[in-house]
Amino acid sequence: MPVPCATGCGRNASLKRPKTGDALCKECFFWAFETEIHFTITRGELFNRGDSVAVAASGGKDSTVLAHVLKTLNERYNYGLNLILLSIDEGITGYRDDSLETVMQNSADYVMPLKILSYKDLYGWTMDEIVAQIGRKNNCTFCGVFRRQALDRGAALLNVKCIATGHNADDIAETVLMNVLRGDIARLKRCTAISTGSEGTIPRVKPLKYSYEKEIVMYAHYKKLVYFSTECVFAPNAYRGHARALLKDLEKIRPTCIMDIIYSGETMSVKEEVTLPTQRTCSRCNFVSSQEVCKACVLLEGLNKGLPKLGIGKSSKAKRMLEEYNAKQNDSLQEAISEINDEFKKNNCISKGKVCKSNCKSKENKHSTTDLNTVDANTNSCEQVHSNEVTDDNKETKCCNKKQYCTNKKTNETNESNSKAEKLLAEYGIPESSDKPNSIEETNSSQDKVCEIDVSNSVDNEEFDVDLHTNDEVILKEEDNTCAGACGKVDSLHIGF
Amino acid sequence: MICRKCDAPATILIRKEYWYCNTCFITNTNHKFRACLGRSKTLSPNEKVLICLSDSTSSMVLLDLVQNSISLNGTKKLRVIPFFLHIIETATEDSIRTAKLIIEQCNKYNLDIYIVDINEYYSTNNILPDINVLPQTKSETLNNMRMNVSATIYDDVIVKIKRTLFLRIASELSCKIIFTAETTTQLAKRLLTNLAIGRGSQVENDIGFADQRDKSIKILRPMKDISNEEIEYFLKVKQISKIQNSSNTKIGLQSVVDNFVLDLQKNYPATVSTVCKTADKLGSAENTTETQNCTLCQSNITFKSSKLTAVEATIFSRQMCTNKAGVNDKIEVMQSITEDKNPMFPSIYKTLCYGCSRNFSELDSYL
Repeated sequence: MPVPCATGCGRNASLKRPKTGDALCKECFFWAFETEIHFTITRGELFNRGDSVAVAASGGKDSTVLAHVLKTLNERYNYGLNLILLSIDEGITGYRDDSLETVMQNSADYVMPLKILSYKDLYGWTMDEIVAQIGRKNNCTFCGVFRRQALDRGAALLNVKCIATGHNADDIAETVLMNVLRGDIARLKRCTAISTGSEGTIPRVKPLKYSYEKEIVMYAHYKKLVYFSTECVFAPNAYRGHARALLKDLEKIRPTCIMDIIYSGETMSVKEEVTLPTQRTCSRCNFVSSQEVCKACVLLEGLNKGLPKLGIGKSSKAKRMLEEYNAKQNDSLQEAISEINDEFKKNNCISKGKVCKSNCKSKENKHSTTDLNTVDANTNSCEQVHSNEVTDDNKETKCCNKKQYCTNKKTNETNESNSKAEKLLAEYGIPESSDKPNSIEETNSSQDKVCEIDVSNSVDNEEFDVDLHTNDEVILKEEDNTCAGACGKVDSLHIGF
Repeated sequence: MICRKCDAPATILIRKEYWYCNTCFITNTNHKFRACLGRSKTLSPNEKVLICLSDSTSSMVLLDLVQNSISLNGTKKLRVIPFFLHIIETATEDSIRTAKLIIEQCNKYNLDIYIVDINEYYSTNNILPDINVLPQTKSETLNNMRMNVSATIYDDVIVKIKRTLFLRIASELSCKIIFTAETTTQLAKRLLTNLAIGRGSQVENDIGFADQRDKSIKILRPMKDISNEEIEYFLKVKQISKIQNSSNTKIGLQSVVDNFVLDLQKNYPATVSTVCKTADKLGSAENTTETQNCTLCQSNITFKSSKLTAVEATIFSRQMCTNKAGVNDKIEVMQSITEDKNPMFPSIYKTLCYGCSRNFSELDSYL
């Protein structure tokens, strides 16, 4: 039986909203999704009339939806904003070069000017070159720190009033959890703010703060927006992955917990007696920093001096390394450098045995990721490893923390992107016209669609192959299994009404 | 390996890092308990203290720690007048066995204990029973609730109900101080749970050393520096019988958090203490001059800022799902939230806090 749209518009519902559980038709879902962002922008006082706004664009789903919705709302409600897309080219072959094409496509589609800044131009290094120096570990530190500053530089260059980023509700909830786990009070304090930026800096705003990631994917899918969903080719670090895994598990049990966590973050504050690092400007480059010299400058210095580990870890360590470096200038430079690098390794491992433990851990992870086939089939397991070490607020960093399995084939990439949306549809989509009498069958018909689509461009996804071979009756009996295969989730009951 | 305090051979390894011999370990744990109380300077001599035991293993340790420190002589003696209380949460065989075990243990130490059924929450009279007697279960209300609401909400409500009972009994006994037996590990879990159910602003009172929400009675957590790992060893060394925890079959946010912390603990042993230290630094963004408290958990519900929060955003989302596309794009949140027939947040900011309001929407008939 078709389910009527909850708004009473007379149409049949085609999806169940992950955020509220209401069944809506596509038109009402688009309307609700967009109006909620309008609500956030207006009530949060994110923009002023006539502002120039840079939309941080990575080509991914969040920034693509952000750009599309901002353009739509700007016209519908006459915000009078001048929207500009701002992209950062980290120089990651097989990842960013492709996603930038998507951004260019968006720029043309939405008639928005596009500015691309590259790490190569700003810092003299591409991420590929940095990774060649530092290895597969800690490279997200570089990428994140540099991008944060690169966005500021780009915004200054474009002379905009603020930068809009695509952080969604899931990202923010995840960051709250991560900062608690890491004990990072300073970031905990600011991570739920809808608009961040102290005096003298260009504020960043998050119009998608209250939008669920799942709804963003569904919006992009139903609107047929062009976005790029490959994950970054460089290996992940493990920490954000823990917070993400926890959030996913919590969300399965109680979907509202994403909003609950955001509310928690919004209403708690740091006690007055706790000292926090003060924000100031870097004495070298004049951009925001919590130290005398900002992290970006330290990392860059390290790269240029051949001491790539310089900025990894505490700033006191960096100071010591630099002193040694200067003291040993007289010796053969090459020798001194390798000596200091070795020393760093040793120090890091000995200190209380903690760093060493986590190092070993991430090595294990890396080994497991190389097993492409096992990883591919199960996005859940992949997502657990998404992570980010230092730049927690920086949304775009996320994309460079993901598994490397996407590197090898483009076909795999598209498959991955489709299956994410398809998984959501399997869980939240409601088949529009169904003559079948009972809800269980409905469930299956939607899942059958999923299977067909997936199989058509899936080469090595065993789970879906299995589904294709089974006939309808079997699926009927093993409804749970079907869903576990199609979307990796147990609660297939959500779809049946 | 040798003990890190004396040179005797070590028998216990804590956090995969620190070796102790049995004697030094017990001394150290006792010291942690006393240091935690001493540091706070909240106890005055001959203070009446209600010591609340529960179904958790750590309450057996609390019992032993208190017994040990009040039986010392000289300056080290803990100068309090203790009253012991145990609340029976469910009418299962397990919990009856636990209660008997606790009575037995108290008798060993020559201490008296009050056993109270949790359903006394609904009674309006004085609820203090005779000592050392198992109560008769009179009501099934909470058991019914357990069957009918989600595990997340049930677990949360039980914590609040127990807290209320502690306070009521303390006031009947005219105690101004309450001790509870939460360990670092339990508090870390509670912090994450608190975040997940929108109680972030209550962290200070729910996880910190002292719960000061009640104006006349303070709830203290003197075991907050002791981990579950240490509890296990303590019971083993002292040969105290363990409480068998009846596991909850329904899965709620709490059990997800439990498993998560347990897992993380293996690879990152410092996480639990990091999380608890974070809690020590958190307060809430409440208005302190003009206070109004939640009727269920006594948390402050008056917030100073009129900034956009997740409450408005959630209510707005629900509103959008009842409006036809293109018809209504007013960005006003319904003013009279309480007049809504099916409100998302019943009584929020009027008599309830966010977390209790969320609970209330599911179980108003049980409270």
